[in-house]
Amino acid sequence: MFKKVLIANRGEIAIRVTRACRELGIHSVVVFSDADRDSLHVFLADEAYNIGPAPSIESYLRGDKILEVAKKAGVDAIHPGYGFLSENAEFVRECIAAGITFIGPTPENMDAMGDKLAAKALMKKANVPTVPGSDGSVETLEQAQTIIKEMGLPVIIKASAGGGGKGMRVVRDEEEIESAFRACRSEGQNYFADPTVYIEKFISDPKHIEIQVFGDTHGNIIHLFERECSVQRRHQKIIEESPSPSVPPEVRNKMGEAAVRAAKQINYIGAGTIEFIFDNTTKQFYFMEMNTRLQVEHPITEAVTGVDLVKEQIFVALGRPLSVKQSDLRQKGHAIEVRICAEDPVTYKPSPGLIRACRHPQGPFVRCDSYAYPGYEVPIYYDPMVAKVITWGDTRTEAIGRMERALSEFILSGIKSNIVLHKTILKHPKFLDGTYTTQFLEKNFEVIEPEMFKYVNDHVFLIAAAVTAFNDRKAKDVRQYNVYPNWKRLGRKMQLRL
Amino acid sequence: MYFEAELKGRKFKVDVVESPRFWKISLQEEGGTWIHYDMPKDDYKRSESYFSFLFKGVSYLVDVVGADTEYTVFTRNSFRTVRIFNDEMILHESLKAGGGLGADKELKCGMPGKIIEIFVKEGDVVKANKPLLIMEAMKMENEMRSVAEVKVKEICVKQGDSVESGAVLIKFEDP
Repeated sequence: MFKKVLIANRGEIAIRVTRACRELGIHSVVVFSDADRDSLHVFLADEAYNIGPAPSIESYLRGDKILEVAKKAGVDAIHPGYGFLSENAEFVRECIAAGITFIGPTPENMDAMGDKLAAKALMKKANVPTVPGSDGSVETLEQAQTIIKEMGLPVIIKASAGGGGKGMRVVRDEEEIESAFRACRSEGQNYFADPTVYIEKFISDPKHIEIQVFGDTHGNIIHLFERECSVQRRHQKIIEESPSPSVPPEVRNKMGEAAVRAAKQINYIGAGTIEFIFDNTTKQFYFMEMNTRLQVEHPITEAVTGVDLVKEQIFVALGRPLSVKQSDLRQKGHAIEVRICAEDPVTYKPSPGLIRACRHPQGPFVRCDSYAYPGYEVPIYYDPMVAKVITWGDTRTEAIGRMERALSEFILSGIKSNIVLHKTILKHPKFLDGTYTTQFLEKNFEVIEPEMFKYVNDHVFLIAAAVTAFNDRKAKDVRQYNVYPNWKRLGRKMQLRL
Repeated sequence: MYFEAELKGRKFKVDVVESPRFWKISLQEEGGTWIHYDMPKDDYKRSESYFSFLFKGVSYLVDVVGADTEYTVFTRNSFRTVRIFNDEMILHESLKAGGGLGADKELKCGMPGKIIEIFVKEGDVVKANKPLLIMEAMKMENEMRSVAEVKVKEICVKQGDSVESGAVLIKFEDP
């Protein structure tokens, strides 16, 4: 067993890893930037060292400083968490050169999946479905027609240089091919000075469904079923669930097998995630990318499988074989995770600042991984996610009900948070029947603000503000009572005018 | 004590009277009738770091942040910013700005960040809800939009600038 592990991260994931270390009797060492002296991960670790200024480029992304601390503290291994250096192959090589174990995949694994096009080619070799497309530019109309005939409609024609919705045409009907092809080429030429176009299969009801995989140094690779992460804002996940309400059992098996094939293709070691685009109409799935690290949403997999993924990462790094076999694994019940972010629930604008009151949800089958506490100032330099709430239930309905209950217990004031948004999503018919896609928030939540705040009578806000304003002014000895406001107001106005 | 309050663009008249055991609070939304609440002080009491507020029997834990004319009230995971003025302030504001409660003449940033892109230039007349600039903070790009039709008088920052909280980014004048 390792004696000491350095956690090269911050926030809730640094705490999550510290917990796994402590349960295994490993001494935990964390690092922190100048902005994070008061961060909870510093308080909970066994040792903590400052690694520099607040911007992550000068602290959490400085592999050299982290290795320096690692050597000074005498650690055996480094756990990168997610984000920051977790998918940096160069850093892994430096760790290995320094004689420190990196708890994660090999640098070769990272390189293989780092380049999107190369990864897609590798996946084709491993017989993992990828989004069908023209694999390069399409020059003539005849060429386009042949490709589309092979692929089947609907397709999307895209200008290679396009973006922002320009130079893109969805084709649902054979008769539209010609006009769409010409329009894309001319828009490409006009807007981006490049008429090159390519063709991809159009997925009308896309869902983001991913498979957790795990490999060890003995050549075993297993999958731990899927997570659906289609509820996204600004292309970032905010709610995840496992199992997905949209994946039929036979497709689930196929996805799992495909993910294992993908991981085997690159001899993957450690925890990883294969992300698929899932077409909810046809139930087809296509490889998108692989994340060669632990994911934010790993707790829902832990909840339904009973496997502690962080401990398993440590065991694999120690060279042990995986502690579970594929045939032993079952997906039991249903788990949901919501990400609590310090942001405006309507505009998604970040809302860093001082947390005044904070009380986390408790009770049966609720897990809350958080680094918020009363008096903590959420810094502006890092991700706005301050907590994750995970609930488990025997059925999906029970898990959702439990989540609503847990969120109603969550008290967080001083900063704005997206808890109300989550509560509204959990009641939305599209979420409840499981038909939501990755466009769910964009399409359904434009004018929903009044909906989000309807649970509180407006007079509550007004009275609370008025009483506070009253007390503030009384404390400052502003005129105390003002019984005839309008007359007085008028009188004063007249006086001042004179 | 008499106040005028604004909540999400809605205007209210508010009267607060304190007696030894009661809060007597009256509210009138613009165009509506007065609604009176006689609340025992025990229904609005401090507990831990927030207030326990029993409003018509419904239990709310309330936290109020702010000072002077702007208070943000947090409860049940919802929050609202209430702008509140007592009559003297209303008077001074209305004399100084020529009516209209504090129509903003400058765009300030609410948090430190970095200017990624500026879409307008000095002298431009910008319609309401048009993007003015993009600022990056907390790993996110935030688009700042105009709330009303305005003319850009002065742009105080340039692309790539790091700005502190409260810094003036753009000054406006009437179009």
